[in-house]
Amino acid sequence: MKQASIPLEEYMGSGHLACQGCGATQAMRFALKALGPQTALVIPACCWAVIDGSFPHSCVQQPIYHTAFETAAVVASGLKAGLEMRGDSETTVMAWAGDGGTFDIGLQALSGAAERNEDIIYVCYDNEAYMNTGIQRSSSTPYGAWTTTTPVTNYKRRPKKNMIDIMAAHEIPYIATASTAYPHDIIRKMAKAKEIRGTKYIQIFAPCPTGWKLAPELSVKMARLGVTSKVYPMLEITENGQKLEVWKDFEPSSVREYMKPQGRFRHLTDEELDGIEREVEANWQRLLAKEKMLGSIPGLA
Amino acid sequence: MVEKVEFKTYREMPIRPMTVTDMLWNRTGSWRNVRPYYDFKTSPCKAGCPTGENIQRYIYLVTENDYEQAWKTIIDSNPMPAVTGRVCFHPCMSNCTRGEFDEPVNINAIERSLGDKGIENPGWMKRSKPSKKEKVAVVGSGPAGLSCAFYLARQGYPVTLFEMEKALGGILRWGIPEYRLPNDILDKVVGAIVDSGPITVKTGVKVGSDIGLAEIDKEYDAVFLGLGLTRSREIGVDNEDCDGVHPGLEFLKKVNSGEKVDPGKKVAVIGGGNTAMDVARSALRCGSDVTVFYRRTIAEMPAIREEIEEAEKEGVKFYFLSTPKEIVAKKGKLSSVIFQKMELGEPDDSGRRRPVPVEGDTFEMGFDSLFPAIGEQADIDGFSGHLETEWNLISSKGEYGETSNDKIFAGGDIVTGAASVVEAIAAGRKSAERIGRFLSKEEEPVDTPDTVVGIDDMNTAYFSKVDQNRVPRIPASEIRGTFREIKTGYTAQLLHSEADRCFSCGVCNYCDNCWMFCPDTAIKRNKDDYEIDLDYCKGCLVCVEECPRSALSTREEGR
Ligand SMILES: Cc1cc2nc3c(=O)[nH]c(=O)nc-3n(C[C@H](O)[C@H](O)[C@H](O)COP(=O)(O)OP(=O)(O)OC[C@H]3O[C@@H](n4cnc5c(N)ncnc54)[C@H](O)[C@@H]3O)c2cc1C
Ligand SMILES: Cc1ncc(C[n+]2csc(CCOP(=O)(O)OP(=O)(O)O)c2C)c(N)n1
Ligand code: SF4
Ligand code: SF4
Ligand code: SF4
Ligand code: SF4
Ligand SMILES: [Mg+2]
Repeated sequence: MKQASIPLEEYMGSGHLACQGCGATQAMRFALKALGPQTALVIPACCWAVIDGSFPHSCVQQPIYHTAFETAAVVASGLKAGLEMRGDSETTVMAWAGDGGTFDIGLQALSGAAERNEDIIYVCYDNEAYMNTGIQRSSSTPYGAWTTTTPVTNYKRRPKKNMIDIMAAHEIPYIATASTAYPHDIIRKMAKAKEIRGTKYIQIFAPCPTGWKLAPELSVKMARLGVTSKVYPMLEITENGQKLEVWKDFEPSSVREYMKPQGRFRHLTDEELDGIEREVEANWQRLLAKEKMLGSIPGLA
Repeated sequence: MVEKVEFKTYREMPIRPMTVTDMLWNRTGSWRNVRPYYDFKTSPCKAGCPTGENIQRYIYLVTENDYEQAWKTIIDSNPMPAVTGRVCFHPCMSNCTRGEFDEPVNINAIERSLGDKGIENPGWMKRSKPSKKEKVAVVGSGPAGLSCAFYLARQGYPVTLFEMEKALGGILRWGIPEYRLPNDILDKVVGAIVDSGPITVKTGVKVGSDIGLAEIDKEYDAVFLGLGLTRSREIGVDNEDCDGVHPGLEFLKKVNSGEKVDPGKKVAVIGGGNTAMDVARSALRCGSDVTVFYRRTIAEMPAIREEIEEAEKEGVKFYFLSTPKEIVAKKGKLSSVIFQKMELGEPDDSGRRRPVPVEGDTFEMGFDSLFPAIGEQADIDGFSGHLETEWNLISSKGEYGETSNDKIFAGGDIVTGAASVVEAIAAGRKSAERIGRFLSKEEEPVDTPDTVVGIDDMNTAYFSKVDQNRVPRIPASEIRGTFREIKTGYTAQLLHSEADRCFSCGVCNYCDNCWMFCPDTAIKRNKDDYEIDLDYCKGCLVCVEECPRSALSTREEGR
């Protein structure tokens, strides 16, 4: 057989409690392959607080500190500080939270940690709703989506919060989006983050078949089509928020192809889909304009 | 650990709530209602190849740099890849999935490269010993006869190969010109086949006249007839026997034997098939000015497009909707030809529109040579009475070349009428296998239908568009006066680049996707394969969906 295309070491084992086809689980598996054994995790309330298993078991080999919903970033900061105090500057500390715990309730703690430039990796696995408690809307839920708190008669009519811009405003050394459809890319970005000192924010697009009313086998396909339809752009922000690189080297696909298999968008009419398509394209153009604009400003160095 | 840890009292619990073990006690396989399993399928190229070459496999082996195994994979179904790699009409490529994506994989060029490597490495050919006592006669040494002899010898049967000509090869030797198939390549291929096992060659013996079929029937335990079509068809006009008019195949035979031939300044070729193209292009190389006359239009020409285009590029001229009406001879020598103009009428049995003469529309042109190349016929006068025939071809009942005589088998052009090299090879091999079963009184195998994958079964998200690698060739301006081979073949770099284009349809090529994407870490990556751990697989089917090549299938649980 050929050489393996991603590291062979497994740190996330079988028997866990995630649903069939769970993207959040794939994301964790790839991230741990990149970070290796000398890593400590901080996980607030979210699906992943359940997935790893029930005390005293865990499907993850690295230690996990389970913590309160709003505290991932601050607990990770504290854990890192504690390790430093004991002379351990090698261990990577990773906060691993859902979008509810990041975009909403955990935002304050994250903003504080980022402002202080704490030496942590903060990963938000973004499944675009509060899944663990039964699919409630979050500020990451996209425009048009059904959730139990945005029923089809009153589907979500606000756009997804632009978390990347919020993080960029903190001028931290590394920000990236990733998608479970691109394991090599997740691994590359995690490995890169590991080598950078300061706050690293990585937002991984992680489909949730259960919450999206999606056939589980289409999990990776959605993670891919989300990217190729430009709904969920892949980007990296470096130089403390001053340099933006957007991934464009893909075969473009349509927004409809992405939305169609997902039950959470089934109620949308043709006109509403047209509107979403226009919005996706406008956001994409804005993003490219920003990339160009930032590129045209000479750096300080 | 597969045991669940349970605390009976709080005293057993650690002071701090810490993990003590993993989750393997939780056998999530019980959640599953559909099961994925590895299920390799047949690639469309293999299904399209008349002799069923395992194309996917040998291309994979090329990517692994294992040329020897790649060559051996071909040899299992075709003993002459250096020949087919040059002259095959490659129906495999018309079937190639990649053709529906961008351009087909150039299977033919890869096959040739491997064929050439086989010639460079004569040690790769396994030598088989005579291990059976039953003797088999093979009559005719075209691709059908050579293939049959090869696969019989491989089974250990002593074979006697009868050929009426001085040398072996049939149309490969006397028909196909050197610029497409050089003689030294053919010599080596034929030599390797004959040396591969207990094959005794008898050239210059015409079965049916020099030795009777009845005699052969008596002396051998089984007979294979690969007689081909050896008689040229006549156009049927006056003066066809005058000096300057020769059957196209006769001209090709002279040229191919290295005889110096001078067809004169102006040459006319009659016909629209591959023979006509070969005659025209050979005459061009002898220095003549060549015009092809065909009674229909270019769209109806049976020759393959590539041949027509190349002939045009090299400078062959075409006259369509014209057919010879009269040959004008002076003192027994050709001087000019009067052509009848035609137009297309109603479609005939073949679906092509029938050419009908345009009353009173004729024209005359002067020529030094005229080569009719309108097809060949069988010469089976010596066999009538022994075997059932139909339309001057030997009738075959089954798919293994069975004839009306239990002991006699036939295959190639003599059964199908004018067909192709690869079909003749396939027929020879199938008869050899059938003869083996006949002689050892083995039962016929039961046919299990192949599941052939198509592009719709595959996940093309993992493929990107890449142009086919063209085969390097000598420029059309350099062809006059030489029969040098046109296609020079792939370099090592081109070979690998083209092999990398193969999608490996239906067969795992270790891309890791299933293993990588399994959210339950339920797929083990072994040394040579992958394995699904059904204790933990939840049946999400992500692995099946993300396999680019449909190498996994599903089955409902409890069925
Ligand atoms: C000019 C020309 C070009 C062609 N080009 C191509 C091409 O590029 N690609 C392709 O796929 N196909 C091509 N074809 C078709 C292809 O060559 C034939 O389909 C193929 O050779 C048939 O193989 P065979 O073994 O049945 O017969 P043949 O190749 O015709 O061989 C029959 C052999 O049997 C011998 N024989 C016949 N009767 C007797 C007898 N009574 N006793 C002893 N020996 C006998 C003959 O001498 C001959 O050697 C071409 C055909 C022609 C005429
Ligand atoms: C302060 C507080 N409020 C509410 C909850 C209940 N709760 C647990 S997980 C969760 C949803 C988490 O959503 P998200 O962060 O998006 O992660 P997901 O479940 O989608 O993986 C909620 C509301 C809680 N644990 N703590
Ligand atoms: S609800 Fe969604 S995110 Fe949570 S375990 Fe199930 S699939 Fe994964
Ligand atoms: S892509 Fe490869 S395996 Fe698939 S049909 Fe073409 S040659 Fe065969
Ligand atoms: S991806 Fe894993 S869990 Fe899902 S069906 Fe395949 S083997 Fe089973
Ligand atoms: S996904 Fe890749 S590794 Fe898995 S069966 Fe298909 S080809 Fe083989
Ligand atoms: Mg969520």
